[in-house]
Amino acid sequence: MADTTQMLKGILDGCLLAIINEGETYGYELAAKLESYGFQSFSEGTIYPLLLRMQREKLVTATLRKSTAGPKRKYYTLTEKGRHELGEFIQRWEQLSASVEHVLNKGEIDR
Amino acid sequence: MMLSKQSEQFLIELRMYLISKGKNDEEINEITEELEDHLLEAQAAGKDISHIIGKSPKEYMKSIGNSMKTDFRQMMVIIPMMIFLVAAYFSIGPAIEGKFALSGTILWLAFAGGVMGILAYGILLFKVIPKFYHSVWGYVIAGVIALLVTGAGVVLLLWYRDQEATTVFVASSLQNNLIVAACIIIFIASALYSKSWVSIVIPIFVAIGPLANRFLPKEINEDPVFMIMTVIVLVLVSALGSYFIWRKYRKTSSQ
Repeated sequence: MADTTQMLKGILDGCLLAIINEGETYGYELAAKLESYGFQSFSEGTIYPLLLRMQREKLVTATLRKSTAGPKRKYYTLTEKGRHELGEFIQRWEQLSASVEHVLNKGEIDR
Repeated sequence: MMLSKQSEQFLIELRMYLISKGKNDEEINEITEELEDHLLEAQAAGKDISHIIGKSPKEYMKSIGNSMKTDFRQMMVIIPMMIFLVAAYFSIGPAIEGKFALSGTILWLAFAGGVMGILAYGILLFKVIPKFYHSVWGYVIAGVIALLVTGAGVVLLLWYRDQEATTVFVASSLQNNLIVAACIIIFIASALYSKSWVSIVIPIFVAIGPLANRFLPKEINEDPVFMIMTVIVLVLVSALGSYFIWRKYRKTSSQ
């Protein structure tokens, strides 16, 4: 399969919001969950620049907590703004995927 | 569990890259710790580092840097601090000896020397050392370059001493003492700010010569036996010091 990285851009943000919405989580767990949902071909580290930006835009908040081994671990939770953004992402995605579906199946939308 | 050499190398390069781009210290610590945690878990799961950072570490570092904001407030502190530090290094010796004077030439020399010194050490610290982090030769080369740069500075100062320069300011003995006090404050402030002993230890070494010149009687000061003994003691102290710093560093980095 060709490179999906370009396609993933913009979609990954929404998926991260959705996973964080399931409950407080940290970086490695996020990446592992993404993989378990079928995102296989991306490099795990790509989530961190996105998380940094989402933190700056106040979509998520982070708290540092001691982990069982090694350095402190950063746990993410969704803010109210983040939940709102997730709602919008879902809407955008449904529209987009429906349109792509129509193109591929040569169907037309009734207007 | 220890981090693999490759991962450790990447984290060092990332940290240096982010520092050189003027990112906030606290945020740099946060992201490197977060990645360290991730790399450790990935390693335990048998994943290769390229699975995390992709094929091009450089591109990945850039993408992290781009999503962090540049901390101009921190830079506003660091840049004047560097200038004060360079000025303090230049001034403390002459001021202890009670010979602090300013001329047009020394101001230019200090300016040019300061800029070149910061550039040389900046390149060394951010570009060269991270690449050789794990090789002994890297340390040797870095050490030799640091010695050469410092040596060039000393030669320049010695050359300057022989020049006839018109002084624009000669400090009185009170002013000399005030300058020493100001230098000490700058060194302590920069040590507190950078949380390292470097700007305490180096000035102590710089100050030993001038202190001896000022306070030791001339007969002792020119006695070759005394000079050799001092050199031996200094070499021993610095070797011991570097060993302890190295050991402490190894301990903290392997935690």
